Amino acid sequence: MQTSSEEKLPRKLEKPGRASRIRALRKSLVPWFFISPFLILFLVFNAFPLGFSIFLSFQEWNPVAGLNSMKFVGFKNYLSAVDDPWLWKSIYNTVWLAFAANIPQHLIAIPIAYLLVASLKGTVRHLYTATMFVPFITSTVAVSLIFFTIYSANTGILNQWLLALSTMPFIGGLFSWVPDVMPIRWLGKSDLLKPAIAFVVVWKYTGFNIVIYSAGFLTISKDLYDAAKVDGCNAWQQFWYVALPMIRPFIFFAVTLSIIGSLQLFEEPYVLTSGNSGGVGQAGLTASYYLYLVGWEWLEMGQAAAISWILFLFIAVVTSVHFYFNGRKGLEGNQ
Amino acid sequence: MRHLSKIGLHAVMLIGVLITIFPFVWVALMGTHTRGDIYSSPPPFYVGNNLLQNYAELLDIMPFWTVLFNSLYISVMGTIAAVLFCSMCAFGFYAYNFKGKNLIFGIMIASMMVPPVLMLIPSFLTLKYLGILDTHFALWFPGAASAFGIFLIRQYMGNSITRDLLDAAKVDGASDFRIYWSIVLPLIKPALATLAIVIFIGLWNNFLAPLIILSSPDKFVLTLALRSVQSIANSPWGAIMLGTFLSMVPLLLAFMFFSRQMMDGLTAGAVKG
Amino acid sequence: MKKSLIALATSASLFATGAIAGDIRFDGWPDLDSHLDTVIPLFEAKNADVKINYQMNDHGDHHKKLTTNMATGTGAGDVVAIDVGFVGSFINGGGFENLSGEKYGANDLKTEFVDYAWTQGKGLDGNQYGIPYDIGPGVMYYRTDVLGGVDGDIDQVITDWDSYIEYGKKLKEKGIFLIADAGDVAKTIVFTTVEPGNGTYFDKDGNSLVTSERFVTAFETAKRIRDAGLDGQIGSWTNEWYAGFKEGTVATQLSGAWLLGHLQNWMAPDTSGKWAVSNLPDGIFGSWGGGFLAIPTQAENKAEAWEFIKYLTASEEAQISALKTIGAFPVLKSTYADAAFDEPIEFLGGQKARLLFAEVANNISAVEPQKGDLIAEDVVMSGALTEVLNDGKDVMAALKDAERLLMRRVK
Repeated sequence: MQTSSEEKLPRKLEKPGRASRIRALRKSLVPWFFISPFLILFLVFNAFPLGFSIFLSFQEWNPVAGLNSMKFVGFKNYLSAVDDPWLWKSIYNTVWLAFAANIPQHLIAIPIAYLLVASLKGTVRHLYTATMFVPFITSTVAVSLIFFTIYSANTGILNQWLLALSTMPFIGGLFSWVPDVMPIRWLGKSDLLKPAIAFVVVWKYTGFNIVIYSAGFLTISKDLYDAAKVDGCNAWQQFWYVALPMIRPFIFFAVTLSIIGSLQLFEEPYVLTSGNSGGVGQAGLTASYYLYLVGWEWLEMGQAAAISWILFLFIAVVTSVHFYFNGRKGLEGNQ
Repeated sequence: MRHLSKIGLHAVMLIGVLITIFPFVWVALMGTHTRGDIYSSPPPFYVGNNLLQNYAELLDIMPFWTVLFNSLYISVMGTIAAVLFCSMCAFGFYAYNFKGKNLIFGIMIASMMVPPVLMLIPSFLTLKYLGILDTHFALWFPGAASAFGIFLIRQYMGNSITRDLLDAAKVDGASDFRIYWSIVLPLIKPALATLAIVIFIGLWNNFLAPLIILSSPDKFVLTLALRSVQSIANSPWGAIMLGTFLSMVPLLLAFMFFSRQMMDGLTAGAVKG
Repeated sequence: MKKSLIALATSASLFATGAIAGDIRFDGWPDLDSHLDTVIPLFEAKNADVKINYQMNDHGDHHKKLTTNMATGTGAGDVVAIDVGFVGSFINGGGFENLSGEKYGANDLKTEFVDYAWTQGKGLDGNQYGIPYDIGPGVMYYRTDVLGGVDGDIDQVITDWDSYIEYGKKLKEKGIFLIADAGDVAKTIVFTTVEPGNGTYFDKDGNSLVTSERFVTAFETAKRIRDAGLDGQIGSWTNEWYAGFKEGTVATQLSGAWLLGHLQNWMAPDTSGKWAVSNLPDGIFGSWGGGFLAIPTQAENKAEAWEFIKYLTASEEAQISALKTIGAFPVLKSTYADAAFDEPIEFLGGQKARLLFAEVANNISAVEPQKGDLIAEDVVMSGALTEVLNDGKDVMAALKDAERLLMRRVK
């Protein structure tokens, strides 16, 4: 990161007096003043819960029995988590979904955001952006109701469309296999469940990324494009060589959020498997989902705490790798 | 050629719009049907005639406008606080170098990685100790210095606030707070608007915290009220769907408002294709 | 009616001697609110100094909130409802009042309740912590028109699982499914044919029963139905499930007494008269669901809470009212003599079904809850069963995997 400005400022020589010491102190306190909201809220509201859950990970605790019923068990929770087949299965599912559900989000969101910002304006742009954002504001209840209906095997819209495609002229041949495999049970087969969940996640969060990337593209000044045009860049080159490098901090930000968010994925798989221990063959059991199951359904909070710190460590490692490789450019900005 | 690409552009956008708006329209339509109709197979995709009864039932099963107002209050307060706090912290992280900065920034990023399901019980204990259980304050204040928001705004500053600008302001003798308030804030309006959208929606759709924190029915928020009347078997789904639809409308309006701020509040100048 | 009022009055409760006064809160999930709306005014009329309000949350949310309240010792209602699925793990935690104790004297009420439900509310120490308020005696709902279509005879169909499956094969020729989900058959067998003295998944000493005869039979029977294509592979509470009832494409459903209310009120009201109920196949008795009431030790107005619990569970007035408003089947045996039980039910073609429900209720044997039940249910009945049915995994292999997973957790 750059050195900050204040040291460079020319200053008159002063005698190191009381007044200047106070001034220096005040000066050194200025950054702390600005970050104080985070520090205070973190210390007041988060420090204890974090400490508590570390403590908890070394205890055996059925929460229903109250705070006094904890029993110290040392590293037992961690040790038994390490050879827990469902935990590893859930981490595998989480990573699978992280790739399948996140890469498309960014591949769709970046070009759409660019088109929205670069080619459209006024009300039209607002309307498009707003509608694409709608999935993000839809409540989980509505999402589950809707997607259950879409994925439903016998009457679901998805299967109906596939059937319709198979009877269409020209492209029908491509879908000739469809009638043979009907009805496709999207949520009832272990190998179809993950793609079905991934689709819902893409559907729900792409709009959010569009907004983040729109904010990014909006920081690029018109002059840059004009200069590129003078240099003979076509529309594609403007996007690829001018716009894309400029929004690097936003890609860095959105990817960081995606990593953290997808490794904590819980609601969508939970809802689409009706909370039924991860669906067929636990194909939809993500790490956070498993954590929830252990802590809140099986009432083994100590074990859940240990799992959550293992998960935390896992996310931290992945994020660190991301910061190590992309952080320098990602955090710096373009100025 | 130009027309053709214009048509292509709108075709792409419209496909996106169709896929994304579908559920919204569907929820709206379901709000006009009876429970029996909603649960027919395939479900009806047209306007039903039970809207008024659903509305009457909605008012019957919950104080709809009260809880809507509570949601609105919490979301607005939390959004204002978050925009202020996050921009302050982001400025602190962006404009200064100080000892421990990277460590604190690291802790902040790490704090996003702790699975929230586990924090429920200890957070409840904290709020109990502070004596703010069953208050709206406990819902919007603790999360106001959100790591997400600080990170977002810091990234935006990286693209839109030059070091030269900060230095120049310093030389001109502007105080630190003045630089933040009068120079930086106006320049990062789009980021503030983006943050405001996300925070507003997050607070509005939050139900886990209200579930455990609130106990007085007159303080309930919309998500909680809508969930509390659902059971797997016997829910007035027509009314619930109408309520769900009505609860999405303020979010959409909020989005339109902030998105306009975001798109129009540009200093760098809009890009034209 | 009179009898249980006397019981109420004479139950040896220390609280009962003084007048009760205070505000109490009832925590539960819908539809209990509809029931409470009817009975709270009646109760308050008798106890002028007591005010009752309630807080409803979605079923899952309610138990999550209750867990938090119990963990932190703050915020629970004076009376809380607990679903039968959670009751074992909740009441053994030590956060609830021992209702067998002198202050309450719940044991005096024991004989008035359906036996198995009463036992389910007992802690491992033999004391009563939860009082049952409704039960779900299990029956088989079947379409009479479909049965008639193949000249079937219901008694023959339910003789055993073989005859049940034979019926399914005849239906298949007509394109009608025997049952929505074959998994229900496996669950029915596992839950209702528990060997005396054993828990559902573990024996008295905590050894796993998951690979025992009962589970193997259950899984294999379900697999036979699935492999023969006799079930619709339709999940409960989905649009397709409702459609099956409405259109008569599914012939039978194994479920609790409470399903009747849903069928006639909204799931398939147009099919009135085309349904009937019978005992479960193979001569077994079982229950679907049920709820309990308990008093958290953190509650402030325990005396009032206990009076209200007694009113809800041990008074015919409240029990019959619950049956009528939300279809919750009474747990108080004396209600079975009520005129309501003799009413022919139009939806079931005039059958006096409540008499059958009552008979089933009295025949169900209690299975004591055990510590690992919640985990076992997820691992075995959701995990292994769907792998066998949906992914074609071998029955024994699936059960062995489940057992290994289970035993490393529950020791």
